[in-house]
Amino acid sequence: MENTHTDKNFEQKLKQLQDDLIKMSEIVEKQIEIAVNVIKTKDSQDAQLTQNLDEQVDVAERDVRDLSFEIMTLHRPVASDLRLVFTALKVSKELERMGDHSRNLAKRAISISSSFDDELIEQMYSLGKNVQSMVNQVLDSFFKKDELKAKTSWNQDAEIDKEYKSLLKNLIERMHNKETSVVDEGTKPILIAKSLERIGDHATNIAEEVIFNITGHYIDLKKSDFE
Amino acid sequence: MVEQVNSFAIKTKNVSVHYGNKMAIDDVTINFTKNDVTSLIGPSGCGKSTFLRCLNRMNDVIDSCKVQGEFLLNGVTDIYGDSIQVETLREKIGMVFQKPNPFPKSIFENVAYGPKIHGLASTQSELNDIVMESLNRAGLYDEVKDRMDDIATGLSGGQQQRLCIARAIAIRPEIILMDEPCSALDPIATARIEELINELRENYTIIIVTHSMSQASRISQRTAFFHLGKLIEHGDTSKIFTKPDKEQTNDYITGRFG
Ligand SMILES: Nc1ncnc2c1ncn2[C@@H]1O[C@H](COP(=O)(O)OP(=O)(O)O)[C@@H](O)[C@H]1O
Ligand SMILES: [Mg+2]
Repeated sequence: MENTHTDKNFEQKLKQLQDDLIKMSEIVEKQIEIAVNVIKTKDSQDAQLTQNLDEQVDVAERDVRDLSFEIMTLHRPVASDLRLVFTALKVSKELERMGDHSRNLAKRAISISSSFDDELIEQMYSLGKNVQSMVNQVLDSFFKKDELKAKTSWNQDAEIDKEYKSLLKNLIERMHNKETSVVDEGTKPILIAKSLERIGDHATNIAEEVIFNITGHYIDLKKSDFE
Repeated sequence: MVEQVNSFAIKTKNVSVHYGNKMAIDDVTINFTKNDVTSLIGPSGCGKSTFLRCLNRMNDVIDSCKVQGEFLLNGVTDIYGDSIQVETLREKIGMVFQKPNPFPKSIFENVAYGPKIHGLASTQSELNDIVMESLNRAGLYDEVKDRMDDIATGLSGGQQQRLCIARAIAIRPEIILMDEPCSALDPIATARIEELINELRENYTIIIVTHSMSQASRISQRTAFFHLGKLIEHGDTSKIFTKPDKEQTNDYITGRFG
């Protein structure tokens, strides 16, 4: 922001709010990156790390919430300041959910047997990588106030849904064919894929908040949340 | 959207105002919708009061003041034209000032004065009715009904301001102009006036200058932001306070001055 507040205290808190969000985003990005790698490595220490990071994410969300509340109570923000506080609250909630999903998927990934099909692992990993890149893009668009980038990442979700569906189809086909290594894992691979797809949905929600933060309007195109 | 002539209480076009050589309002065009409260906001000295005073020709008495531009009442009557007398104009467009300024007379006389000189009542009982109704509308009747003959200057600041509003209402205006009507009042008296403004909106068009942005956001449907004599932005209050079009407006209302 070019011009600064006459009220330095208010200015400082808005800056703090942005910093808190950046910090929170960085933790969640790291969490997702690690969780996606665990799909391949099955490293249980890394899986534990996503759990530890999740605790930090919860604390960060609380910080954002408390500071937003304080700003609203004491400074009554309007216009761009109000939109920032509003966006911060909503984005932090989405980030927190993304964190939960990455923690859960990492936990499931390490319990998948090493005899599980490599092609399916590759497919899950690739879905994970695409989700990760979407998340990075959307957060970048938030901090750079880049409307175009937010829209681009918003559109990426359709690709992710497609990939998710084709992975599910593949999994189900193999279960039909009674491939034991797949059947033995039960719903685990499906739930991992579902977690990744949900992270994509939360990233889409963030893209919508970013567009609101910049333009004051929500994007018109609405997609079903439950596909 | 097709704008109906009748949907605007006042239309103005290319208004410029000078005090001697000094420009105070610079080419302002703005229309005021009927039965809306419009807030005029902006930093001190940006011309809010000057502009407001143009609307019922209060600037006429200032010799150095030169007003240019178009002013139409209800879309047809030229406010500065020959078809309307200044006295008639001020009947239609009333005004409430920053400092409550009751006459040093009784409460009753303060409200009755206008209707009397404008010949709005032909009998004493009609006059009584107008006074009572006006005090009622201004939310003051219950507080003063037992002491109508007391001197008005003995009322509290908030009561005095409501009395001035009753006095303005008594001459049955269509439009009420208010110039920072709450700036001399405490928060409770202010809240009372704000509530009153909201009620009056049903019957009157209100244009109010306020230095309080939170007041503008609470009471008005439309907000106009002035800066250095220019109208920077005018629109729905909810839009101005969530996503104004102009960066300058955003800076001002978020407290990023200068
Ligand atoms: N009677 C006057 N004579 C000369 N200059 C005036 C007079 N009234 C206001 N001004 C000048 O016109 C400008 C706008 O003033 P005003 O309308 O009172 O602003 P605001 O109400 O926004 O504070 C200011 O620069 C002020 O000094
Ligand atoms: Mg003024």
